[in-house]
Amino acid sequence: MPEQYSPKILGFLCNWCCYTAADSAGVGRYQYPPNLRVIRMMCTGRLDPSFPLEGLAQGADGIFVGGCHPGECHYIDGNYHALVSASLVHAVLGKLGIEKERFLIDWASAAEGPNFVKIITAFTKKISTLGPLGRAEGRDQAELRRNLAAAAETARGRKLRTGLINAGREMMKTGDFSRTAIAGLVHDKCDKALSELSV
Amino acid sequence: MHPPVSNPSAQETVGSVLVVGGGVAGVQASLDLTELGYKVYLIEKSGAIGGVMARLDKTFPTNDCSLCILAPKLVEAGRDPNIEILTLSELVDLTGGPGNFTATVRKQPRYIDEDICTGCGQCTLYCLKQIGNDFNENLEHSHAAHIDYAQAVPTSYHIDPKACLKLNYDTCGLCAVACQAGAIRFDDKEKVIDIPVGAVVLAPGFGRVSDEVMARYGLGKFEDVVTAFEHERLMCASGPTGGEIVRISDRKHPKKIAFLQCIGSRDENCGNNYCSSVCCMYAIKQATLAREHDPECEITLFYMDVRTHGKGFDAARERAVREGKFRVIYARPPKVEDVFDGGLLLAWATEDGLHHQEKFDLVVLSQGLEAPDGAEDLARAAGIHLNGYQFAQIDTYTPLATSRPGVYVIGAFQGPKDIPDSVTQAGGAAALCAGRLAQARGTATIKASFPEERDISGEEPRIGVFVCHCGINIGGVVKVPSVAEYAKTLPHVVYATDNLYSCSQDTQRLLVETIHKHRLNRLVVAACTPRTHEPLFQATLREAGLNRSLFEMANIRDQCSWVHMHEPEAATEKAKDAVRMAVAKAAHLTALAEQQLPVTPSALVVGGGLAGMTAAMTIAEQGFEVTLVEREKELGGRAKLLTADRFGFDPRKALAELIAKVKAHPKITVHTQATVAAVSGYVGNFTTTLDTGNGSVVVNHGVAAIATGGRPYEPKQYHYGESPKIVTQLDLEKKLAGSRPRAKNAKQVVMIQCVGSRGEDLSYCSRVCCGQALKNSLRLKKLRPELGITVLYRDMRAYGFLEDDYRAAREAGVIFIRYHEEKKPEVSVGKSGAVTVRYHDPLLSDDVELAADLLALSVGIVPEDPTKLARMLKVPVTADKFFLEAHVKLQPVDLPVDGTYICGLAHSPRSMDETIAQAQAAAGRACHPLARGSITPAPIVSKVDPELCIGCGACESFCPYKAIEIYKEDKTRKARTLTASCKGCGVCAARCPTLAIDMGRFTLSGIMAQIQAFGEAYGEQHA
Repeated sequence: MPEQYSPKILGFLCNWCCYTAADSAGVGRYQYPPNLRVIRMMCTGRLDPSFPLEGLAQGADGIFVGGCHPGECHYIDGNYHALVSASLVHAVLGKLGIEKERFLIDWASAAEGPNFVKIITAFTKKISTLGPLGRAEGRDQAELRRNLAAAAETARGRKLRTGLINAGREMMKTGDFSRTAIAGLVHDKCDKALSELSV
Repeated sequence: MHPPVSNPSAQETVGSVLVVGGGVAGVQASLDLTELGYKVYLIEKSGAIGGVMARLDKTFPTNDCSLCILAPKLVEAGRDPNIEILTLSELVDLTGGPGNFTATVRKQPRYIDEDICTGCGQCTLYCLKQIGNDFNENLEHSHAAHIDYAQAVPTSYHIDPKACLKLNYDTCGLCAVACQAGAIRFDDKEKVIDIPVGAVVLAPGFGRVSDEVMARYGLGKFEDVVTAFEHERLMCASGPTGGEIVRISDRKHPKKIAFLQCIGSRDENCGNNYCSSVCCMYAIKQATLAREHDPECEITLFYMDVRTHGKGFDAARERAVREGKFRVIYARPPKVEDVFDGGLLLAWATEDGLHHQEKFDLVVLSQGLEAPDGAEDLARAAGIHLNGYQFAQIDTYTPLATSRPGVYVIGAFQGPKDIPDSVTQAGGAAALCAGRLAQARGTATIKASFPEERDISGEEPRIGVFVCHCGINIGGVVKVPSVAEYAKTLPHVVYATDNLYSCSQDTQRLLVETIHKHRLNRLVVAACTPRTHEPLFQATLREAGLNRSLFEMANIRDQCSWVHMHEPEAATEKAKDAVRMAVAKAAHLTALAEQQLPVTPSALVVGGGLAGMTAAMTIAEQGFEVTLVEREKELGGRAKLLTADRFGFDPRKALAELIAKVKAHPKITVHTQATVAAVSGYVGNFTTTLDTGNGSVVVNHGVAAIATGGRPYEPKQYHYGESPKIVTQLDLEKKLAGSRPRAKNAKQVVMIQCVGSRGEDLSYCSRVCCGQALKNSLRLKKLRPELGITVLYRDMRAYGFLEDDYRAAREAGVIFIRYHEEKKPEVSVGKSGAVTVRYHDPLLSDDVELAADLLALSVGIVPEDPTKLARMLKVPVTADKFFLEAHVKLQPVDLPVDGTYICGLAHSPRSMDETIAQAQAAAGRACHPLARGSITPAPIVSKVDPELCIGCGACESFCPYKAIEIYKEDKTRKARTLTASCKGCGVCAARCPTLAIDMGRFTLSGIMAQIQAFGEAYGEQHA
C-alpha cells in the first residue's frame, strides 16, 4: 500500500464570494486540509464546462467550484450559468461511469470563511473516501482520464455548447434556477450530443 | 493674532493643501485630495506615516489584517508625485486666510538622508544603543538608529537624537561606517519651512489615557495587567512575541483573561466624561482573536454598557460572544489586586448590588482615547478653538469645519471615532477643500508620468518570481526559500527570489530594478491575496515600463500558510503548486491596452433630504453640474421631524437655509415629485430616466450619489396607538417645540429604548435613539425640573460626547433602568387611556409598576426600500436593507459599482452631523472621476474574435450588462464587446459555441495552462 492517500482537489473560485471567503478563512486562521489548489476567476459564470473535465483528466480526484449564493452573484446571474455548466459536468460524469460526487458546486459569501472551511473539509473527506479516481468506480484510472480528456474536448465543441446555450436561454426564460430544473433542461438539450461521448 | 480673512479672489488661490497627521485619516485625505487635483503636503510627527491603524493586528468587525489593508494606501501615498511627505514635522504657525495660507512647519532632523537610504538596516544592526520599540509598545527593544516598522513609508531609517551615542557623547558612530550608501548625516539640522497652501486638514489622531489613570487598575504595578494596545501587539504575528499572547510575568499562555472597559473613558475622575466610542468593538475583536489563539481560554468582558452601535456591529458582536463563549458582565471596571500565588484578583459589583471576586491570569485594559498630545499647541498654531476635552471644536451643521475658515478637522481629533468614520471624514474634508479651492484645481499638481510601456509582444516569456515571507506570516509555516528555489526550475522563469515584505516601499524599488536588470516581461508575486495587493504590484509594473496585465499572484498566505499552520510540509508543497500554476498562467499573459473614456462632468443625487442636499451642494461647489431628485413635493426629508439638536438649536432653521441654497445654486437642478425609472451605462457615462409629474426626463451623468434615506419605525408593540399618552420620540419632538410646548403638563414620563431595534423587528441598533431620548429628557427637565422621567434601556449608547448628556440627565434626576431582552417592560392601557408601565428593577430585584402620563417609545430607523434602485444600479444591499458599501473599513461611502456612492440613512442609521460628514464624503468621492475627466476601465473585459464568431447572439442574450452588441459586416452578423460596459464576468466566453470570445487575463489558454500545471504534480507521481 502506498502511504496515506491524500486527494488532489482543484477549485475554481469566484473573486467576489468564494475566493474572498477563502481569504477570510485565512484571516480568521480557520484550518482545513491542505489538498485544495485554487484557480481564481472573476465569476463562476466564466466556468467553461470543459474546465472541470480537464481538471479531472489532468489528475484531480475531485473538482470544486465555489461562487456566490444564488441571488447574490456580483454579476447578477453568473452563478446560475455556472449551474448550467455544472449540470453538464455531472451528466458527463454519469455517462463516463464516474462518481458524480467528485464534482461539487457550492456557495460561500465573502463573509463566510467558516462556511468555506466546512465545505472544503467535508469535500476533502468525501474524496478521501472515494479514493483516487477509478478506485470507487472500479475502473482503470488512465482510461477514465483519457475519456475525460475526450469529454473536455467535446465540451469545447459546437454541438454541446449549442445545447447549453438553449438550456441557458430556457432557464432565464422560466426563471427557475433550482438545480433539478437546470439539470432537466441540460438533459433535454444536451442528451443527444452527449450520447456521442466515448465511454 | 491672525490677520482678518481677506477675499480669496483678491489674492491668488493656492492649489495645495496641508494635511497634518499621517494616520489613516490623513493619508486618505491626501490621496483623495490628489485625485481631486490638489497638491498635498502631508506632515507627520513621527518617523513614518501609518498611525495607529498600522499598529493594529486586525480590524473589527471583519477581522481583516489591519496593516495588510493599510499598506497599499501608504505605498500609494509614498509614490504619489503630488504628495510630499514630511516626517518628524509639526505645524508651528499658520498665517493668511482661506485660499492663501502660509503654513510654518518645523521639521526635526532624521540624521539619515531619506533620499539615499536604501532601507537595508545595517545601521540598526551596528547601533550600540538600545531603546524601547515604540511601535511594539516597548515590549521589545529597538535601536537608536531604526525604522519604525518593516513596511514603514517612507522606507528610510532615522536616528533617535535622545538616545544616539554619537549625537550625545560624540562616541560610536558605527552606523556611519556600516552604511554602504553613505546616508548617515550627524550634522543634520532642524528646518523651519514656510509652505503656501490654500487649505489645511487637521488629522493628528488621538492621544491615550495616561499611565497614571491606568495605574488605578494595576498597570505598572502588576506585570500581567496590560493595555489593549500592548495586547494588540501581543496578538500580532509581527509583534514582539511573534503573535503569541503571553503573560509578561512568566511568558505563559493565560488561561483566564479579563477585558476591562471604560478605562479612562466615561470617568469624571480623570476628566474624561466622554465615551471613547471604539473600545467596545476593539475589546470584542481582541477577545475573538484571543479565542482563536487558545480555544480553551476563559474570556470575560466587563462592560458598563455595550456600545456597538455601528453598521453591522451588533450582529458581529453577538456572533462573537456566542461563538467565542465569552462571559459578559455588566459592571463598572473592577478593582485589580495581586494574590500571593500569582494571578490577579478582580473585585466588582454587579447591577443587583452584589459583590464578586475572582482570579484571572491576564487583565487587558481597554484604554480610552484622548485628545492628541500637544492639542493645545496645534490649536494655537492652526488658530482654532478646542472644546472642553481639548478636541477640536466643531458645529453640528459643519462637522468638519474648525472655528477658522479654511481649516478642517477629521478623524479622532474631531471626536473619538473608529476607522470607517475617520476615512469617511477624510473624504468629506477633501471635498470641502476642493470646493473652497475650486478655481485652483490642478494648478499645483503635476501629472504622474510613467515610462512608456515596453512592447513585449515579440519576446519569449521572461518571468520573475518573488516569494514573500510576510514577516513570519508565511515564512513561519512555508519554507519560503525552498519555494523560491523551486520557482527557478519552472519554465520561462529567469529570476526568482524571496523577500521579507513584498509590499514594502523598498521592495517596490527592488522589483523595478530587477525587472530592468533581468529584462523580465512577466511578474509573479507569491504572497498574500490579489484582492488587496494586486493594484500595488501592478503600479510597480507600470513604473518599470511593463503593462499592468503582465502580472499574476499566487496566494500562499491567506489560502495557504494561515490555513495550514500546523502542516509546514504540506503547506510548502501547496505553495509550490500555487507558484507553478501562477507561472504557467503568467506565460500566457499578454499586454492589454487600457482604454481611456471620457466622463460626463455631472452628478445625479437621488434623495433630497439632509444627506442628498449636502452631497449636491458639495459637488456643485466643486464646479460640477448636479441633478437632485426628490420623491416628495418638498426637499428636506426626515430631518424636518427634529425640533432641536442636543445644543437646543432648531435644526429646521439650518435645513431651511440649506434648501434655499440648493434651490438657488446655479449648478443644481432639482426635480421634486420625481423618481428614478431606469438607469443604464457605467461610470463616467450613466443615463438615467426620471419619472416626474411632467413626464420622463433623461439625465446624462458621470456619477451617482444615493441618499434615499430612511423613516421612523412604526411600532406595533407597547400598545402604541391605543392611548394618546403613548407617543414616539418624534411625536414628543413635536410636543416639545414652540413657545408653549404641550409636553409641559406631564408629571411622570417613561421612555422605552430599542423599540423595534436590536432584534425585535430590526436586527440592528438604530444608533440615534439613545441620544434622542437623552436630548428629549433634558428638554423636558428644562421645562419642568420636578418632572419625573424614567428611561428603560438595554445599553445606553451615549457614545462620544453624548456621554455629557447622559451625565447631565442623571444629574437632573432622570432615572435610568436597564432591562434585558428576555424581560422587556410591559405596558397596559386602562379604560380612560391611563398608561401603566411594569418593569424589573435589578437593584430592588423586583418588578415595579409606574403610571405614566406620557410614554415615549424610542423607535428605530428603517431604510427606505432600496430593492428597486439597487437592482437598477446593480449594487448589493444588506439583509437589513441598507445599501452595502464596497469595503466597510476603507471604502465606506463607495458602492461596489464604480461611479456610485452612498450616504445618509440609506447607508445606516446616523445622527445629523454624521450624516452631513458622510454626504460630504460621498460628494468628494463622486468627484474623483469628474475631476479626472476620464476613466480607465480594468482591461479584463471580453474580446470577440470576428474570424471565429458566427453571430449566433448567445453572448448578447446572456450578458447581464448589455455589453455585447451584434453588428452586421457584409451581411454577416458579428458580436462585439462594448468595453466600457463589460465588467469581465466571462459568461459570454463560457457559452460561446465557437470559442470566439476570450477574457482579458482570464483567457482560455491561461486557465488551461493552470489546470495543466496543477496536473503536473500528478504526472510526476505517476511518471
